[in-house]
Amino acid sequence: MRISVIGTGYVGLVTGACLADSGHSVCCVDIDEAKIAKLNDGIIPIYEPGLEDLVERNTRENRLSFSSNVTEAIESGAILFIAVGTPPGPDGAADLSHVFNVVRTISATATSPKIIVTKSTVPIGTGEKIREILDTNGIRHEVVSNPEFLKEGAAISDFTNPDRIVIGTNSAQAMKTMKRLYQPIVDAAPSRRASVIEMDIASAEMTKYAANAMLATRISFMNELARLCGKVGADVKLVQNGIGLDPRIGQRFLNPGIGYGGSCFPKDVQAMIATGREHDSPFQILEAVHAVNERQKSVLVELITSYYGDDLSNHTFAVWGLAFKPNTDDMREAPSIVIIEALLSHGARIVAFDPVAQANAESIWGDRISYTNLNKDALKGADALLVLTEWKEFRVPNLARMKDELGAAVVFDGRNIYDPDVMRKAGFTYFSIGRPPVLADTDA
Amino acid sequence: MQIAVIGTGYVGLVTGTCFAESGNKVICYDVDESKIQALENGNIPIYEPGLSELVLRNASAGRLRFSTDMAESVKDAEIVFIAVGTPQADDGSADLSYLFAAVENMASHLTEDAIVVTKSTVPVGTNAKIFAKLRDWTGRDCNVASNPEFLKEGAAINDFMFPDRVVVGVRQSEVGDVLRRLYSTFLRTDKPFLVMSPESAEMTKYVANAMLATKISFINEMANVCGCVGADINDVRKGIGHDQRIGFAFLFPGVGYGGSCFPKDVRAMMRMAEHQNVDPQILRAVDEVNLRQKTILLSSIEKHFNGQLAGKRVAIWGLAFKPRTDDVREAPSLNLIDALKERDVHISVHDPVAMENVQQLYGDDLEYALSPQDALDHADALVIMTEWGEFRHPDLSEMAQRMASPVVFDGRNLYEAAQMKKAGFVYYSIGRPKVMPD
Repeated sequence: MRISVIGTGYVGLVTGACLADSGHSVCCVDIDEAKIAKLNDGIIPIYEPGLEDLVERNTRENRLSFSSNVTEAIESGAILFIAVGTPPGPDGAADLSHVFNVVRTISATATSPKIIVTKSTVPIGTGEKIREILDTNGIRHEVVSNPEFLKEGAAISDFTNPDRIVIGTNSAQAMKTMKRLYQPIVDAAPSRRASVIEMDIASAEMTKYAANAMLATRISFMNELARLCGKVGADVKLVQNGIGLDPRIGQRFLNPGIGYGGSCFPKDVQAMIATGREHDSPFQILEAVHAVNERQKSVLVELITSYYGDDLSNHTFAVWGLAFKPNTDDMREAPSIVIIEALLSHGARIVAFDPVAQANAESIWGDRISYTNLNKDALKGADALLVLTEWKEFRVPNLARMKDELGAAVVFDGRNIYDPDVMRKAGFTYFSIGRPPVLADTDA
Repeated sequence: MQIAVIGTGYVGLVTGTCFAESGNKVICYDVDESKIQALENGNIPIYEPGLSELVLRNASAGRLRFSTDMAESVKDAEIVFIAVGTPQADDGSADLSYLFAAVENMASHLTEDAIVVTKSTVPVGTNAKIFAKLRDWTGRDCNVASNPEFLKEGAAINDFMFPDRVVVGVRQSEVGDVLRRLYSTFLRTDKPFLVMSPESAEMTKYVANAMLATKISFINEMANVCGCVGADINDVRKGIGHDQRIGFAFLFPGVGYGGSCFPKDVRAMMRMAEHQNVDPQILRAVDEVNLRQKTILLSSIEKHFNGQLAGKRVAIWGLAFKPRTDDVREAPSLNLIDALKERDVHISVHDPVAMENVQQLYGDDLEYALSPQDALDHADALVIMTEWGEFRHPDLSEMAQRMASPVVFDGRNLYEAAQMKKAGFVYYSIGRPKVMPD
């Protein structure tokens, strides 16, 4: 099938590359000419394991091409994926101007019937609005909602080995075509569990928000609970295991931490809250989920200032991890931003390390903080280490060397990646989330 | 082992019976003489599939006895389980007066090595208090443990014998070892026995229930928004349930959770948090959403009848807070009955096992039908409040015939839209578009 993907951000690139890899002929189009030029040179603007290889191979084998000519891409594709950004507007609702601009262009320029698929996360009712815009034109296009559930850092495997493929449309013909489009992926999915779930457009749009909202709810629930555990002397990690073994609950997405970030959860939760308000059906739980998350970002700072006092001007903190989660360079809404800004405002010096997000971090802080790597005395002279992202390489450090390099053996762990007993034995003062603090014997 | 179980409510009776079934000698104690008398006569005061048979078998084998004598119950016991009620106090916190009374009564009869295990759901810190009180009353350090119970009413025996996990909170590992031996019969597969501090164990019980309640209120709010935007919660539910990080369990929208655990435990946890200066934002939202959800059908009913409810006849299917139990504590059906009575509606009800409990509350104010279909005669509407299996495939044409007008308010999403449309019903459900007959 001939497919055009409009928008070469995260979702667009992964969708295009993976559909090309399952044998379809795909053109990825973006109005940003510089971006397209880079892509044509094989330079991928985002960090995603496996994506570069996939793009390279499918470009070489002529199934994948890049273009900045939108009208041409619209004309050549039978299925048009819209994967442009939907950033939150000032009131938290998703800004759909990019989506509607694309639809207007399609309406104005397409000379044959298209299947128009929204991959971008769009508020419920957007499919209906798209149809209204299209209906001003004489050609009968079909509208489909096909939300994307990929996780940054595991995007390729999520796309090619999905838990489910959600397709919402009111057109039987479009449903048939979409199922044919995804058949190679369903057939080849290693899990053998991939299935297409058919529904109407509004339900498909809702499904995307509901999934992210549920995951965000699990995180904020555990974060709220972790605060209580810390106060009553319970250990949230044991509690987490105790409830996760209940199959009605499950172990996934129960890690307490310093709050969720990234380009999806915060935005989608806020958009859902806005949708609820708009329909006079306020989303009380999600409002609480959002409030708890905002608060959670300052938990580590509270621990730090109650340990050292408010004046941190004589303190240097080594920070491990800046990205909002491991295996990505994405810094959008990362808790590290809130935490580092707060520490800077208290006068602290920051020496930061992240395996891949440093370039993005530099564009945020420039030389207001310094950067290092794990091989160079990353901890030398720091008063404490802060763990903000649970990259695997942080999980089993050489504690003796760590203690040696640090000016004081103090660790603030925002991701609960170390065992308090191990830290105690190694002579550390160790703070984590929702677990009793380990206070090193100062005479030792 | 020789075991005493203090309190013969749901948890106590199931705990005692299951431990007797695995070969221990068990005495179940209760202060309520009539209850003990009834149990000795083989009358089980609660409805729980399989329990009655198990009680009789173990009683006649001499492994299970009932007593109102604390000294006799406790004096030879190696392990004493406390399973008394911890009802909700006026401020929402857990009322521990029964629990501490039981501890005080048993104190002088305990052997030196006895382990006092709390099965009741108690706030974090209770175990430490029991330890301190026992020291006051016995003059020695007694062995105490926390061992929260996760059984579900309606599946209690199976849950107890095949647990997903057993959680114990202890301060000495030897105490944990004794309990591990006791539970080993139920953990022959790879299910874990988790040993932690009493504080973490106490917390685990609340958190598990709070998370389940959160999932229910979450999907209920989602359903309400679906209703507003024309989406179908059933499709959405499938769409997110396939996500392995989410799963399908406990994501069924309905008329709110009830029963003796979720509402009470969520509120007790809120009070616990407030005492620690932690603002329980999510829990409060969960509780409030649930209260609102219990009246969600009432608003549809009022709207449908343009507020003219006086003199109408409404049939209600399902009274228990969930299927396979006769428990109506905090059941959403009660909220609905109260509201309809206030509006002078004639109410006929049917529930396979919970009618007696409801009759105790409402007496002759309601009509009690012996079968689901009998409840429908001349009804202006049917409301479904509990998803009993027998309501799932009714004879729709008989239903329509018996009712004065074929209108169904389905609080449990039991039926398909197309099926109801074809059968000529006006059909309202939760988070799905309203259906009008062909």
